[in-house]
Amino acid sequence: MSLSRRDVLRLGGAVLAGASLTPSAVLAQTPKRGGTLSIRTWDPPNFDPFQTISYKTHIALSFTHSRLLKHKAGPGVAPGTFPLEGDLAESWTQPNETTYVFKLRKGVRWHNKPPVNGRELTADDVVFSVNHFLTVKGNANAYMLKAVDKVEAPDKYTVKFTLKEPFVWFLDMLSNPHAVAIVAKEVLDKHGDFKKHETVIGTGPWMLDSYRPNVGLTYVRNPSYFLPGLPYIDRIEATVDEDNASRMAAFLSGKYDLGWEFVGSIARVDWVQIKGTLAQRRPNLKTVEFPSPVMNHISMRTDQKPFSDVRVRRAMSLAIDRKAIIDSAYEGVGVLNPPVAAALKEWAIPFDKLGEGAKYYKYDPAEAKRLLAAAGYPNGFPGTMCFTTYGTPVLVDIMQLVQKDLKAVGIDVKIDQKEYGAYIATCFYGKFESMTFGPQTGFLEPDNFLFGQYYPEELKNQSHINDPVVADMLVRQRRTLEPAKRREIIYDIQRHLAQQQYYVQMPSAVYVAVWEGALKNYAPNMGYDYGGRLMAAWLDR
Amino acid sequence: MLRRYLAKRLLVAVPSLLIASLIVFTLPRLIPGDVVVLMLAEKAYAKDIDELRAKLGLDRPLPVQYVEWLGKVARGDLGESLWTKRPVVEEIGQRLPITSELALLGLAVALIIAIPVGVISAARQDTIADYVARSVAILGLSVPAFWLATLLIVLPAIWWGWRPVTGFVEFSRDPIGHVAQLLLPAAILGIAVGAALMRLTRGMLLEVLRQDYVRTAWAKGLGERVILMKHALRNAVIPVVTLLGTQLPQIIGGTVIIETVFGLPGMSRFLFDAINQRDYPVIQGVNLVVVSLIVLVNLAVDALYAVLDPRIRY
Repeated sequence: MSLSRRDVLRLGGAVLAGASLTPSAVLAQTPKRGGTLSIRTWDPPNFDPFQTISYKTHIALSFTHSRLLKHKAGPGVAPGTFPLEGDLAESWTQPNETTYVFKLRKGVRWHNKPPVNGRELTADDVVFSVNHFLTVKGNANAYMLKAVDKVEAPDKYTVKFTLKEPFVWFLDMLSNPHAVAIVAKEVLDKHGDFKKHETVIGTGPWMLDSYRPNVGLTYVRNPSYFLPGLPYIDRIEATVDEDNASRMAAFLSGKYDLGWEFVGSIARVDWVQIKGTLAQRRPNLKTVEFPSPVMNHISMRTDQKPFSDVRVRRAMSLAIDRKAIIDSAYEGVGVLNPPVAAALKEWAIPFDKLGEGAKYYKYDPAEAKRLLAAAGYPNGFPGTMCFTTYGTPVLVDIMQLVQKDLKAVGIDVKIDQKEYGAYIATCFYGKFESMTFGPQTGFLEPDNFLFGQYYPEELKNQSHINDPVVADMLVRQRRTLEPAKRREIIYDIQRHLAQQQYYVQMPSAVYVAVWEGALKNYAPNMGYDYGGRLMAAWLDR
Repeated sequence: MLRRYLAKRLLVAVPSLLIASLIVFTLPRLIPGDVVVLMLAEKAYAKDIDELRAKLGLDRPLPVQYVEWLGKVARGDLGESLWTKRPVVEEIGQRLPITSELALLGLAVALIIAIPVGVISAARQDTIADYVARSVAILGLSVPAFWLATLLIVLPAIWWGWRPVTGFVEFSRDPIGHVAQLLLPAAILGIAVGAALMRLTRGMLLEVLRQDYVRTAWAKGLGERVILMKHALRNAVIPVVTLLGTQLPQIIGGTVIIETVFGLPGMSRFLFDAINQRDYPVIQGVNLVVVSLIVLVNLAVDALYAVLDPRIRY
C-alpha cells in the first residue's frame, strides 16, 4: 500500500488540538492561590544536573531551579514551539555575532536553606554555574555550550558571554531545561557536588520539602519567588510509580492530576482502553494531542558497500510501510518524519515542500526492488541490525515490522539484539558492521537533530556520513541569525537529506496529554520543564 | 552440642560468603556496557568516559578493586553508591526492613494457607475438599505474582474507582497504614510459596499417617485431632521447614516485582535499579547481604529441626 499525498499531509499534520482546551475561558477566570497538585514522577538517580543527563533529575529540578532564559509556557503556546522569555534574565542584547549580554532581575533570592539562607542571587552565581557546567568532569550536556569562549560578570546584575564563533542557537541552548541550572557555589563547597537531595537549593518557584527514595518528592511553594504572586499552587506531591498497572489504577481513581507518562501524557495503547471509563469517572479531564519528537531510524554504514550506494538507501526507505507501523504500533495515530522530527513544527519541512525526495517516504516495494537490482543487488543482500529494546514492547513491534518489510525486498536482516548499556557503548556511537535500528533523542531544536547526526566525525553520526554539501549547510545555518533565512537553509538540508536517505526515518507517535480540568492556565508541551509549565497554573477545587 | 554445631556451620559459611563475594563482584562487571557509559548515556565524548572512569576508580585492575572492597567489607563498609554517593550500608539500612517485613509477612501468609489446608487435604484425602484444595494449590503455583498483582490493582480501579494503597507509608507516620499497605503484596507473595508448602504438607502427612505408630494411636482410641496435630503433623513438618528455608531466595526474588508494582522502597527494587545502572558497590553490597541472610536462615532451619524432633541431636 502506498501513501497518497493527502495521507502524507494528514499524518504529517502538526498539532492535533484537543476538544476541551479553551484558553480564552481559562484566562477570563481569576487565579486562586493554594492547593496540592499530585503527579507521577521518576526517582532521580541523583540530583546533580551537571553529572547526569537523566530526565528524572532534570524534571525534578525544573520545579526548584531557574535558568537565564526559559521556554514560554501556557495555553497560548502551541506544543512543538518554544518561544523564549527571560527567567533570571530581565533582558538581553547581542552587540555582535559572538557577544551576548544579559541583565539580571534584581532582588532574586535563593531558597531559604543553608548554606545560602536566602541571600540575593548575583551575576557571579551565573558565571560560577556556567563555568561549572563547562568544566566539571562527566557533564555529558556540556556540548550544548561548546561555543562559549568565556563568561564574565561586569557588574552585580550583568552577565556577558563571548563565543568562539557565531552560534545562533545559543539562546535556545540556555533556555533548554537540561542546560545550565543556576546553582550556588556555597552548596558545592559544602557538599562537593550536587548529588544529594540536600543540595537541591535554587531560585525556582518551588522548594524541595522532602525526598523519599523510590517513594516520592514533595515540593512547597517558594514564598520569596521573584515573580510576585507566583506560583499559585502551594504544594506538589510527586509520586514515584514504576508500575504501569499501578499508575493506571491511580489515575483512574483520581490520584494524579496529569497523565502518568512523560510530559503528562497517557500512552495511546492505554488511553484507548480507559478513555471510556475516564469519561464517566473523571469527566472534567482535558486533553491535547501533539506529535512526539522521538523518532526511530535505521542507520547504516554509508561509508561501506552496499550502503554507500544511494540507490540502496533509497530502496530501503521505499521498502518500509510507514502507514502499517502507525497502524500497528501507534494505534493508527502517528506522524511521518522528514529528517527533522515533525514535532518541531517550526523547523520540520512539510512533505509537500520536500520536493523530489518526498517520494522516498512512500511505500513502494516494487520500486525498491528495481533500485536494488540497478545497484547490483537483484536478489537483495544479507545484513545485521543492531538493536536494543529500551524496555518498550512498541519498539520491538516496530523492529519486527521493519525486518519484515526489508525481507520482502530481499534484504535479509539478522537482528543483533544487545543489552541497553552495550548498545549505547557501541551501536549508538556508530560502532556496528551493517545497520542499527533505534530511537533518536527527542531534541527541542533542529540543530541538535541535524548537526550531531550529519556533521562529519560527530559522535552521533551513526551512519558515518561525510557529505560536504550537508556539512557546509549545517555550519551556515548555525551562523544565520535571521530565522526565516535559517529556516530556508534547514529546509534545504532536509530536501538534500531526503534524497540521500542516510537514515531511514520512521513515524513518531502522537502524545495524548491529559490533565485534570481543575488545573487552570496549564498547557502541555515537550521537554523536561514541568515546573515551568506549572508555574503560572492554578487549581480551581 | 547445638552451640558447637552452629559455630562450626558459621565457620563453614565464611568461605561460602567469600566465594559469593567474588561472584557478586565479578559478574556485574562482565555485563557489556558499564556504569560510566550509562551515566554519560547518549552524549558522551570519549575523553569524558575515561575521565569519569578514573574519577570513580574503575580504571584500576579488577583484583586491586576487589581486594580493596573486601578490606572495606571486613570493616563493615560496603562502599558508596556510584550514582547517589551515599554509603551503601546506609542505603541498605533504609530498605532492608521493608523487604524483610514484606518477606516475613509473605512467609506468614504462606504458612497460614499451607498448614491448615495441607492438613485438611491429607485428612480428607480424595474428597471434594481435597480436590478443591489441590486444584487451588496448582492454580496458586501457576499464576504469576505480577499478573495477579496487576489484576488486583487495575480491576477495582476500573470497576469502582478504588485502588489498594500504593506508595509507601512509614511506620512512624501511620502504623496501621504501614501494615495495611503490606497486606495485599504479602498475600500475593505468599500464595505461590503457600501452594508449594501446602502440597508438601499434604504429601508428607499422608506418608506419616500410614506409619505404624499412627495406626497404634488410632488403635488406642485417640481422637483424630490429637493424632493429626500432635503425632503426625510434627513429624511431617520437618521437610516443610526445609522447604521454607529454601523458599527464602524465591520470596526475595518475588519482592522485586511486588515492590515495584506496589511502590514499596525495599531492597529488591533498589537492587534492580542498581543492576540497570551498573551501580557496582550497591549490587555487591545488596547481594552480599542477601547471601548472608540466606546462610543465616538455613542455619536457623537446621537448628529448628532439633526443636521439632527431639530425636535429632547435633
